[in-house]
Amino acid sequence: MPDLTRILLGSVFGCYLLAVLLYLLALGRTGPATGRAALVLVSGGFLLQSACLAQRWWSAGYLPVTNLFATQFFFSWALAATFLYFELRYRIKAAGLFVILLNLLLLGSALPRDPKIPPLIPSLDTPLFTLHIGFSFFGYAFFAMAFSLGVLFLIQQRRPTPLLPPLAELRRLNEEAIFLGFCLFSFCMLWGSLWAYLAWGFYFSWNIKAFWSFIVWLFYAGMCHAKFVRRWQGTGYAWLSIAGFGVVLFTYLGIGLLMASNHPLD
Amino acid sequence: MNALPPPPLRTRLWALCTSLKAAIVLASLATLLAMGGSLVIHFNPQLFGDLDQRTLGSWLAANLPGHPFRAGWLVLLTVLMVLLAGNTLCCFFDWLFRLRARWRKLGEYLLHLGFLLIVTGYLWGSVAGDRSSGNQLREGETVPLSGKPGWYLRLDRFEAVPGPGGRPVDMRSSVTLLHGDQPEKSATIRINHPLLWEDLVILPESFGRSPSGFRFLAAGGRSIDLGPGTVARIARGVELQVLDFYPDSVVDGAGRTLRRGETLVDPALRLALVKADGTRWTGWYRLRTGVPAELAGLGLDLQPREPLFQTFTVLTINRDPGARLALSGAAAMLLGTTLALVSFYRKRRLGDRPSIT
Repeated sequence: MPDLTRILLGSVFGCYLLAVLLYLLALGRTGPATGRAALVLVSGGFLLQSACLAQRWWSAGYLPVTNLFATQFFFSWALAATFLYFELRYRIKAAGLFVILLNLLLLGSALPRDPKIPPLIPSLDTPLFTLHIGFSFFGYAFFAMAFSLGVLFLIQQRRPTPLLPPLAELRRLNEEAIFLGFCLFSFCMLWGSLWAYLAWGFYFSWNIKAFWSFIVWLFYAGMCHAKFVRRWQGTGYAWLSIAGFGVVLFTYLGIGLLMASNHPLD
Repeated sequence: MNALPPPPLRTRLWALCTSLKAAIVLASLATLLAMGGSLVIHFNPQLFGDLDQRTLGSWLAANLPGHPFRAGWLVLLTVLMVLLAGNTLCCFFDWLFRLRARWRKLGEYLLHLGFLLIVTGYLWGSVAGDRSSGNQLREGETVPLSGKPGWYLRLDRFEAVPGPGGRPVDMRSSVTLLHGDQPEKSATIRINHPLLWEDLVILPESFGRSPSGFRFLAAGGRSIDLGPGTVARIARGVELQVLDFYPDSVVDGAGRTLRRGETLVDPALRLALVKADGTRWTGWYRLRTGVPAELAGLGLDLQPREPLFQTFTVLTINRDPGARLALSGAAAMLLGTTLALVSFYRKRRLGDRPSIT
């Protein structure tokens, strides 16, 4: 099975790599065919990745997200799904380039790792774990999209370009990404808390990973309120999106790799 | 043109309590404080290591006086969360007062209500709750529940469930919750399947085994297992009773045998010999020093062969009176978030934009 996984992974990586190149090409040439071809490649890559995820889920008997390879792979899949959501709904084109680049980076760094699925430890053997993790990475993916849109908002504000959507559109998309990410992350926190109560007897843990997840939630809860304050709209919101993604990255990678926690990545 | 009179104090106070900007300031301060505090936790494991094993209230009571600078931020964070919950409560009431005009925000305000209930539940549990880990129980053993006078927990049966490689992967403890001597609830608890009863949550933590007696070789090559409670009829109408077993014993200056520990080092059995005429001898058989003369005199040459072990389960017993409130809050938040998502797409379809403060 790892061979099939490797073949599928290689194909997915190839699709995303080609899509990035085509999107970059589309930045130079404005022909719609190049952008459409890139979208087809991302969609194809996403379908292959979905098949790979389904195959791994089927063979393991549980959603395999228990080590660094598996979480990178799942995060990459969630990023691709988020990109497709925005692309198909709003035709964001180059605005989603960062997310696909991040996706490529995640998948690229996962490829050298062993895709073998480790045995599931008993405390993770619950549907609450699947819900907790699934919503968590979709929340992260929307926050990554918000980061991308925030950066592009600032670029568009300082050096206006017809290649990017107008400022008002970027602001609206950024707010949508934050709101959807916050809702998904709230689901992640709720299912995770319920699971913690049943597994450990308390629903709020002071463990550094759990605590930083609460920080992420609190930060974005504040952001969901800040969009109603005129001063924070647009530029302020873009900067907050960038800062928020820094908090997300630290929570996902920084803690898992640098600190001892009950959410080890490797 | 006459200037408008300033609004009454009550109105201004209510505006402050329901202020969106106040919510943002409080959330920002709490976020920044939590970020800094998390580093204090990380770099002081000796102080914060047991924070999850105790309720916040009992942890603060034990550690705040001795470490006001390192533990003080937790008090500040609690104050900020209480203020944020207060702001949320005021906003929720403000919304309720104008429900007819603002019912479309039901999802968002259910989310607010959920947050309020969770914070309140957590604080209640932190003050009035109790956490107890490392409770060892052997089959048939009963322990009192701390914080619930008259309530007991009995272990009826324990089984370690082995995985494909033979390693234990789960722990099944059949337990009965007793009120006095009346069983109130029986359940088999295992990983992710605790016993939930009122404010109690009882869950498996680990298991182990401890020496419970010894196997002996008696005359004629017969083996005999002796542990506390064993009664054996031996030759000439003499009854041998095992009164106690110490895995590790020591004799003090006064000649008394004392329990030194639970590891098998210098085991000893406290025995009683009851003869048919009613005469009785009690004494210690320290296995390393040889068979007591009283036993040898009866021709009872009990030679120790191997220790006997008994498996025990280790349970976590937590009491959290705020858990149900927090669970209600979680349900409100779940529903609220779902409604907010549905309402978001509906508003987008209708071209609504957020109001600006």
